Amino acid sequence: MALLEVRNVETYYGPVVALRGVSLDVEAGQIVAVLGANGAGKTTLLKTICGAIDPHSGSVAFDGARLDGRDTWEVAKRGIAHVPEGREVFRHLSVHDNLMMGGYTIRDRGRLAEDMKRVYDLFPRLQERARQHAGDLSGGEQQMLALGRALMMRPKLMLLDEPSLGLSPLLVTEILNIVRQLNEAHGVTILLVEQNANMALDLADFGYVLEVGRIVLKGAGTRLKDNDDVKEFYLGIREDGVRGVRRWKRKKQWR
Amino acid sequence: MNEMTASRAPAAPSSVIPPGVDTVAKLFWSTVEARGDAPAMTHKDFGIWKSFSWRDYGAHARLTGLALRSLGLKPGDLVAILAESIPEWLFCDMGAIGAGGVSVGIYPTSSRDQVAYVLTDAGARFVFVEDEEQLDKVLEKRAELPGVETIVVYDMKGLRSFSDPAVMSYEALLDLGRAYEAAHPDAWETSLQVAKPEDPAIFVYTSGTTGPPKGAKLSHANLIFAIEHWREFAPTTGRDHTLAFLPLCHMAERMMTGLRPLGYGGVVNFAESPDTVLENLQEVSPTVFIAVPRIWEKLHALVQMSLGDGTAFERWAYRRAIAVGEAVAERRVAGKPVPLGLRALYALADLLVLRNTRRLIGMGHARLIGSGAAPISPDLMRWYLALGIPMFELYGQTECSGVATYYGADEYRVGTVGRALAGTELKLAPDGEILMRGPHVFMGYHNKPERTAEAIDAEGWLHTGDIGVLGNDGVLKITDRKSDIIITSGGKNITPSEIENKLKFSPYITDAVVIGDGRKFVSALIMIDQDNVEKYALKQRIVFTDYASLTRAQGVRDLVAGEVDRVNRTLANVEQIKAFRLLDVLLTAEDEEMTPTLKLRRKFVHEKYRPEIEAMYAKGQVG
Repeated sequence: MALLEVRNVETYYGPVVALRGVSLDVEAGQIVAVLGANGAGKTTLLKTICGAIDPHSGSVAFDGARLDGRDTWEVAKRGIAHVPEGREVFRHLSVHDNLMMGGYTIRDRGRLAEDMKRVYDLFPRLQERARQHAGDLSGGEQQMLALGRALMMRPKLMLLDEPSLGLSPLLVTEILNIVRQLNEAHGVTILLVEQNANMALDLADFGYVLEVGRIVLKGAGTRLKDNDDVKEFYLGIREDGVRGVRRWKRKKQWR
Repeated sequence: MNEMTASRAPAAPSSVIPPGVDTVAKLFWSTVEARGDAPAMTHKDFGIWKSFSWRDYGAHARLTGLALRSLGLKPGDLVAILAESIPEWLFCDMGAIGAGGVSVGIYPTSSRDQVAYVLTDAGARFVFVEDEEQLDKVLEKRAELPGVETIVVYDMKGLRSFSDPAVMSYEALLDLGRAYEAAHPDAWETSLQVAKPEDPAIFVYTSGTTGPPKGAKLSHANLIFAIEHWREFAPTTGRDHTLAFLPLCHMAERMMTGLRPLGYGGVVNFAESPDTVLENLQEVSPTVFIAVPRIWEKLHALVQMSLGDGTAFERWAYRRAIAVGEAVAERRVAGKPVPLGLRALYALADLLVLRNTRRLIGMGHARLIGSGAAPISPDLMRWYLALGIPMFELYGQTECSGVATYYGADEYRVGTVGRALAGTELKLAPDGEILMRGPHVFMGYHNKPERTAEAIDAEGWLHTGDIGVLGNDGVLKITDRKSDIIITSGGKNITPSEIENKLKFSPYITDAVVIGDGRKFVSALIMIDQDNVEKYALKQRIVFTDYASLTRAQGVRDLVAGEVDRVNRTLANVEQIKAFRLLDVLLTAEDEEMTPTLKLRRKFVHEKYRPEIEAMYAKGQVG
C-alpha cells in the first residue's frame, strides 16, 4: 500500500470542473512529480489532498486512513505539510516567529528547540535573518522559510507547490538540492508540483503529467524525460526546422 | 419542423445550372452575380461569427485568380491548398479554377512527406498554406519540390521576421491581384471562359488501402453534373444553413460546402476546429447537416449519457417519447399512414421531450440530415427518425463525383441508399460489386493509367469496390467494401461493417475493427469513448490514471464485454465476437491509424496490432 493514495478524485470550482478523475500513488520515501501547464489542475490537486477543498467524488487515503472530507488541521496533524504556491509566508512576522507558527501544534518545548535547530542547520541563511520581517527576505529565502516552516511539524509527506516559481536558475538548483536533502537525509516523502519540468524530472523517482484535469501520462522520472511529448511540451527540446525558429507546437499525442 | 410530415425535398423546380453555363468557373461567377449581397459563409473570428457575402466571396476569388495570372499561371496549371476548412480555402479554390487552373486540396493533418508526395505527383506550381506550421512542411521538403514556385500563407503569425522570395502573405497576393486588375480590366472575364467542360477542374487525392494516394481527376462536366443532381441527392435551398467540419479536400465536404452552394446558395458555417463540432452545432443549429457516422454516433451517445445524469422521471419521459417516435418512424419507413391517435401522441411527445432533445444536440432547426462516407448503423438511423429528424444515407465516392444514388422525397428507407441518379446507370457485377456508368464517373487517376484501367473498364463502368444488393425496384443496399468482406476458415462470409456499426451504437464504444478473415472465429479490436467510459469508471469507482490504464481496468473490460454480449445476441453464431481487445492508445485524426473522417483504417490496424490480434487467436477466449 502506498503512503498516499489518490483515487478518482473529481474537484469542482462551482460548475467548473478542475479535476476529472485523478488517481495517483506516492510511495513512502519517494519523490513524485506532477507536471502540467497553467490551469491543468496541479494546485487544485494539492489543495484537495490537504483538505482545503473537498473533492466532489473520489477518495484520498494517507497511511491507510481516509483524508477526504477532513479539515486541513486534521490532515496536517496526520503528517502532511503543504508548502503553497507563492510561499505565503507571514510577511509581518519575523523569520523566527514564522518558524514558530510552523511548530504551533507542538507542545513539547524541548522538541521545538530541537526542530528549530534542525531548520537552521538546513538553512543557515534563515538563522542570520532570524529577527528580520519575512516580507523583507528575497524570493529564495522566502522559499526556504516556507520549506522550513513546513518542516517544523516533522511531516511524513510534504506537498510542494511550484517551489521554483520566480527564482533565478542558481536558486532553483539550491532549492532542488535542499528538496533532495529533505528526502534523503530526513526521510520526507515528497509530492512536487511543477511547471519547471527539467527540475522536477531531475528530482523525481516517478512522475505524472496532468492536462486539463486528467492524467495523460505517467512513468519513472527518467522515462518521462525521454518521452517525445514531454520533451516538446515541457522541456522545450525540439527540432528547429529549416527556418531556424518555430513558433507552433505539434499536436499532442501522449502515447 | 415539429412533425415528420414535412417533406424532405422542396426540390428545385428546374435546372440550377443557368443556360450557357458548362464549367465550374462560369457557374461560380454567375452565382456571385446573381446572389450578390446574400450571405455565403460565416466563420468564427475571435469568438464572433462573421459572414462573407457572395460579393465578398467573388471579390476575394477574383483577386486571387488575377494574382495567380500575374504570377504566370497558365490554363491547366495546378494550385494546391493545404489548410483546415476556412473561408480562404474556398476563395483560393474558386480563384484558381476561375483563372483557368486546377485546384487540389491536401489534408492539413498530412505529414511533410505526404504533402511533398501530393505536390510532386500533382505537379503543383502554386501552394496556399494556412500558417507557419503548414508552411514548414513545404519548406522542409523544398529541395525535392523544384516545381513549386510560389507559396502563399494565409496567417502570417510568427513569420514577421521571415523573408523568402518564394513565400508571400495572402494579403500581398491580393495586392498583386489588384495591380493586375488595374492593368488588365478584362482578364478575369476572359479567364473564366478558358476551361472547357471536359478539362479537369480539381484533383482529389484518395488514400488507397494499398499503395500511395491516387489523384482522382474530376472534370468541369463531372462537377456540373454532380451539382445539378445534388437536388435529388440531398435537396437544399438558398435558405439552408450548413456546418462544414471535414477537411475540404475530402470529396464529401468539397461537394457539400464548396460546390453545392454554387447551384443552390445557402449559408455555409465553418466549424472552428474538428474538436469543437458539437459546440458549433449548438451555436449554428444548421437546417441541413451532413456528417460522417462518427458524429452521429457521438450525438447519440451525448443524449444517452445526459439521460444517465437525469432524474428517473426524465428517463421515463424520454423512453415513452422515443417509443412513440419509433412507432411513427416504423410506419413511415413502411410507407404506411400514421393513425390520428398516434399523431396526437407524437405531437405531445415532441412538445414535451423530443424537441428539447433535438435542441440539445444542435438539431433544433434540422430539416434534413444525412450520413455518408461510411456505412451507418440502421439502429442509429431509426433513432434519429424517431427523434423527428429524417435521416438518410448518402452513397457516393470521389470517383463518381461524390454522388451516386438518391431517395424519393417521401421515402424513408433505412438500411438502403436509394436508386441511381437520373442520367446514370447502376448494376452489379457477378461477384456483387457495384458498377456505375454516367457523366458523374471521373476522368481517371493522374499519372496512374493502370490504376485508372482497374477502376473504369472498357465499357465505361466504374468499379466501386463496394459490394451490394440491388432490389427489383432499383433500390441499392450496400453490404461492405469488397476488400473488407471476411471469409472465416469455416468458409462463412461476414460483413464486418455491419457488426462494427452495432458495436459503435454503444455510447462506450467509439470505433471497432472486426477481424476474422481466414480465422476460426470472429474477434474485434475496440476503441472506447474516453469521456463516456471515464464517467462510467468514476461512477463505479474504477481506479485509473491515464487512458492506457483506463483500457486495462477490469471494470472497463467488463463494461465492454457486456456491450459485446449485447451485440452478440443480435448476431448469428458464426458472426459472434468471441474475443476482443481494447486499443490502449487514444487515436486522433493526426494518427496514421485514422482516416480524415475519423474511422479506423482497417488494413493499417491489422498490421499495427498484429501481436494483439495473434494473442487473441492464441488464447481463443473472451479477454
